[in-house]
Amino acid sequence: MSLLEVREVTRRFGGLTAVDNVSFNVPEGEICAVIGPNGAGKSTLFNCLTGFDSPDAGTVTFAGRELVGMRPDRVVRAGVARTFQNTQLFEEMSARENVMVGCHAKTRAGFVSTALRLPWTVKEERLAAEDADRLLRLVGLEEWRDAPAADMPHGLRRLLEIARALATQPHLMLLDEPAAGLNNSETEALAHALYRIRDHGATLVVVEHDMGLVMEVSDQIVVLDRGCKIAEGPPRLIQKDPEVIRAYLGEEDPEDV
Amino acid sequence: MSGRSLNISRFLTVRAAIVAVLLLVVAVLPLFVTGTDARYVLKVLTFVGINVLIVTGLALLFGYAGQVSLGHAAFYGLGAYASAYVTATLGMPWFVGLAAAIAVTALGGLALAVPSLRLRGHYLAMATLGFGEIMRIVFVEASSITGGPDGFSGIPLPSLGSFVFATPQSIYWLVWGVAALAIMISYNIVSGRPGRSMRALHGSELGAMASGVDLVGLKVRVFVISAVFAGVAGSLYAATVGFVSPSTFTFHFSVVLVAMAVLGGTRSLAGPAAAAILLTLVSFPDIVLPGLSRDILAVVQDWEVDIYALVIILVVLFLPEGIAGAGRRVLGLLRRGVVEPSGSDSGTGQRGDEA
Ligand SMILES: Nc1ncnc2c1ncn2[C@@H]1O[C@H](COP(=O)(O)OP(=O)(O)O)[C@@H](O)[C@H]1O
Ligand SMILES: [Mg+2]
Repeated sequence: MSLLEVREVTRRFGGLTAVDNVSFNVPEGEICAVIGPNGAGKSTLFNCLTGFDSPDAGTVTFAGRELVGMRPDRVVRAGVARTFQNTQLFEEMSARENVMVGCHAKTRAGFVSTALRLPWTVKEERLAAEDADRLLRLVGLEEWRDAPAADMPHGLRRLLEIARALATQPHLMLLDEPAAGLNNSETEALAHALYRIRDHGATLVVVEHDMGLVMEVSDQIVVLDRGCKIAEGPPRLIQKDPEVIRAYLGEEDPEDV
Repeated sequence: MSGRSLNISRFLTVRAAIVAVLLLVVAVLPLFVTGTDARYVLKVLTFVGINVLIVTGLALLFGYAGQVSLGHAAFYGLGAYASAYVTATLGMPWFVGLAAAIAVTALGGLALAVPSLRLRGHYLAMATLGFGEIMRIVFVEASSITGGPDGFSGIPLPSLGSFVFATPQSIYWLVWGVAALAIMISYNIVSGRPGRSMRALHGSELGAMASGVDLVGLKVRVFVISAVFAGVAGSLYAATVGFVSPSTFTFHFSVVLVAMAVLGGTRSLAGPAAAAILLTLVSFPDIVLPGLSRDILAVVQDWEVDIYALVIILVVLFLPEGIAGAGRRVLGLLRRGVVEPSGSDSGTGQRGDEA
């Protein structure tokens, strides 16, 4: 059975059908890429998978549970984490604190127990800090631990958001254009981080424009165009698919967001 | 790494020492207030403590969670009337009145949290302003309970068991003791998991949700705590003054409270507390400058609102991060200069608060 099953998901905005009857499966332990020109509906699809938006039709089943209609924080607790195309960091908080917020899904100190400084809350804090440090090392950001997110270079901010998503201990991670705005060496570092994350047991779905990265890391590719799925398969076949080539050649500037 | 944590722990020790000295100063202050106007001075200092208590709740709500409230005077009033009704009308002990104030303001905070789930920024400000006005009208109109526009008099002094807080000194200690407790509770909250989620909410709601933070539960809790602090302050106010009237719980006072929170700065408890002390004393300059003539005093009190407005403008222009921001800069310089001469420090502690 697949870890994630997307069935006939449709999302309309007025007259525009941003996601049109899209279905696909993501098997456990794979890296799946969702590609397509700007405005193809990739981010909208991600929002529908993570509770930030609800589709007009269709179902999203994760490990046997229906995700449609679930609140975003519940989706996270169910084991699905995401990053955003426009990074959503806590700018005034340090890198470590950003990641520690990601630990919230797995920690439980509330207002009363924290106000009373109960010993177990102090211990939980320490463990969360250690977890955060470990994840910062995993994505190569240990030197930025105490720096406010606002002071970090663009490429590293994306890695920080990935570390924060990892802190929720997800089984499935959805990354929306993680390589956008990254230079070559940063993209290379990202690719390695993605492998490491998969090797840690997480399944990945990546929206990406960077074809090099997509062809390198993904096991399976889903191609969207104007809301519809126009192709699906391993990188070798997708590269040669005439529909895909047409969709991409018809686009002026694949880089802009 | 170990050198750095050593420095941080030394820094925390310095901080603990400062807090201890401040606590001591606040505690022994009444012993040095003597002379003919001692009663008056202690009363003003007690008001300062009440305002510190309210502003601490507002610091959590506004400074940490980023939620605006222009209706906080209403919670102060709710607490005052609930406590007054239970102690004076029903003849129950003050402790029960305090519990009633907490219960009623918790419900009020819950009610105000509902619009905050949908509204933000200016719209939330408008909703809270509306809430404050509605409550003020209730205070005036529900005259069988509140005494209407004439006010509610004959409220008994605060007491615990058979002990009555009858002297100005004991009332001062009660109020400041409660304020210190509130600050301590708040400090624990902001340095732990809930405080982090509050700052996350302030930073990015989308990011907070994507991290598994339950925004609904969080906003409700912060509004409730903040309202309850104001309600406790109201109960203390009613019992110490013995009289409450709607003219105390106006939009004007809500704005004064926000001014204190803004001047204090965000992500801080010490800043807003300092601002509450400063701005409360602005209305009573004769406390700070004992020789001040009655005429000057009258002028200052006439221009009080304008002075607050001027303070806000000056803060926004010259001190955009408030007292807390200025304090953080000074502490940062001290730490680099004195504690860490190597200057290799890249961060300013892992807590993000200066309480
Ligand atoms: N909230 C919204 N309201 C109206 N239209 C939207 C909204 N979000 C996205 N769209 C539209 O849906 C289409 C798909 O957008 P998006 O999912 O962001 O595409 P992609 O991520 O593939 O670039 C675009 O035409 C966009 O303008
Ligand atoms: Mg997009």
